[in-house]
Amino acid sequence: MEKFKNIIRQYPFLGFIIAYLILLAVPSIFFTDLYQSHLSSLIFINIIVAAGLNIVKGYCGQVTVGHVGLYAVGSYTAGCMFMYLGSDLWVTLPAAIVVTGLFGIAFGIPSFRLEGPYLALATLGGGEAIRLFIENGEFFGSTYGISSISQPVIFGIPFDTPDKYYYISLPVMIIAVYFSYSILKSSIGRAFMSVREDPISAAASGIDIKKYKILAFILSAMFAGAAGAVYAHLPPGYIHPNNYTVIEMVTFLAMVVFGGLGHIWGGIIGAIIITIVYDLTRPLYEYQLFIFGLTIVLTILFMPKGIGGFIDKIFIDKRFKEKKVEEGK
Amino acid sequence: MLLKTKNLMKAFGGLKAIDKVDFELPSGEIRGIIGPNGSGKSTFFNLVSGVYDPDPGSYIEFNGHDITNEPPHKIGALGLSRTFQLLRLYQDMSVINNVMSGYHTRVKYKFFEAVIGRKKIWDQEKEIKDEMMELLSFVGLADYAELNASELSGGQRRLLVLARAIAMKPKLLMLDEPAAGLSPVNVDNLMKIIMQLKDKYGLTLIIIEHILKVVMDTCNIVTVLDHGQKIAEGTPNQVKDDNAVIEAYLGKKMNDEEMRKALAV
Repeated sequence: MEKFKNIIRQYPFLGFIIAYLILLAVPSIFFTDLYQSHLSSLIFINIIVAAGLNIVKGYCGQVTVGHVGLYAVGSYTAGCMFMYLGSDLWVTLPAAIVVTGLFGIAFGIPSFRLEGPYLALATLGGGEAIRLFIENGEFFGSTYGISSISQPVIFGIPFDTPDKYYYISLPVMIIAVYFSYSILKSSIGRAFMSVREDPISAAASGIDIKKYKILAFILSAMFAGAAGAVYAHLPPGYIHPNNYTVIEMVTFLAMVVFGGLGHIWGGIIGAIIITIVYDLTRPLYEYQLFIFGLTIVLTILFMPKGIGGFIDKIFIDKRFKEKKVEEGK
Repeated sequence: MLLKTKNLMKAFGGLKAIDKVDFELPSGEIRGIIGPNGSGKSTFFNLVSGVYDPDPGSYIEFNGHDITNEPPHKIGALGLSRTFQLLRLYQDMSVINNVMSGYHTRVKYKFFEAVIGRKKIWDQEKEIKDEMMELLSFVGLADYAELNASELSGGQRRLLVLARAIAMKPKLLMLDEPAAGLSPVNVDNLMKIIMQLKDKYGLTLIIIEHILKVVMDTCNIVTVLDHGQKIAEGTPNQVKDDNAVIEAYLGKKMNDEEMRKALAV
């Protein structure tokens, strides 16, 4: 077991390959209807967004409430490329990542001067502006949305049903999470955290604050872009401006906060739980925003580091106590 | 000269916080800076480390580089490390991460290698962690490595900021009141650790300190600031008997005539 742990530590991607293989087998064993596959794809998409949001909000500490706008940019890049060029997911996905990354720069620049709630307001405005721009633009299909976006075809097999699309969204999610893992575990992640905790002493340690702030915004925008593109192609391939409102933003925020801000798995845990809860509470549509807002407030009050941080803390305290007991002997 | 300032000036509105200070520090020295509250000691540190921009006409040179208007992270990368009077710990990070983030300028791998997560990165990360654990056990915090920095006691926090400042292997370490608020026993312990680290890493030190015993015992040369001006410089014993210094701390000695005048006004 110890040997296995060491191998994983040296080659973390092996762990991700194992997770991939397990998740590949899940549908054939557990799933009984198409809806479960569809929900899994949604979970994967939300995991990508939440992993990205965790970089900029959890690690770098920049309060952004416009992330859903970036998600919309990703979706509509894919949607428009399909509508006008007939492009496939393999083309629209990289394109969406690049375009959203560029939008990420625009969202990051205010963070040089603004902080906390002021930055939140600026990014909220940015996100809403993007949505309204789409909603009122003929080019983007305005309020009709873009429909019947194609699904990818591999070796002549169309992946056009939810159970097949599962195998498209899964690898994208695994790769995204792997990237977020290796970014956050390296010195870049530590630099993000020190920018969050204390910019002045981070700069004294030789960390370029502006560079890391903008980097966090670009990286997380790229994650949102990837998620948006995968969402656009999700069967039945329909996107509408109403899918990118502040309500969505609150659920994304709830995922990261509930899972654990600044915890490496925080966004992922949160995305899984909140997506399922979101789906179960669909009949209570009017109360959803209330539920997730309350979740955020309660989590911050009673479990400021979310589930991830809470569980970590238990283990750390236990190890610390054991060490003290050993020394006592 | 490792650090040299010429005609260093900084005014906040009409207040001259630093007024034409010329300062020279050869390599390997332990320099003390003392002065009453508000005399510009911390401002001097902030100017040198780039937190504030000096006023036009100033000149700062570090290790042969002109750093007058450089941003703080570039000055840090040149090998100038500092601690803060108010510590500025990363409260919500583990102790080991606090120290490892001080290592930032020495990390060798490139950004894209980190994104892809090659094996090389994890090997290097392990090396960094081992080295930083060694540093932590040197200052006596190895057992607390996984805890949050906010869970440490006041004395441990002072050791932690010291370790974080050392992690970048600086050429010059500037300590802003390293012993403030410590009990006499802990002060001795801290100074012992600082001296050991100095020998181990070949540091040059500048220490701001209000505990005069520390300054008198450890520093080779002491610079005295008052109202932003350098009023004296010399060995601790020279400075101790300097009239200007005594005046700055205790006030002016007056004869009867002057006293009468002062009271009448």
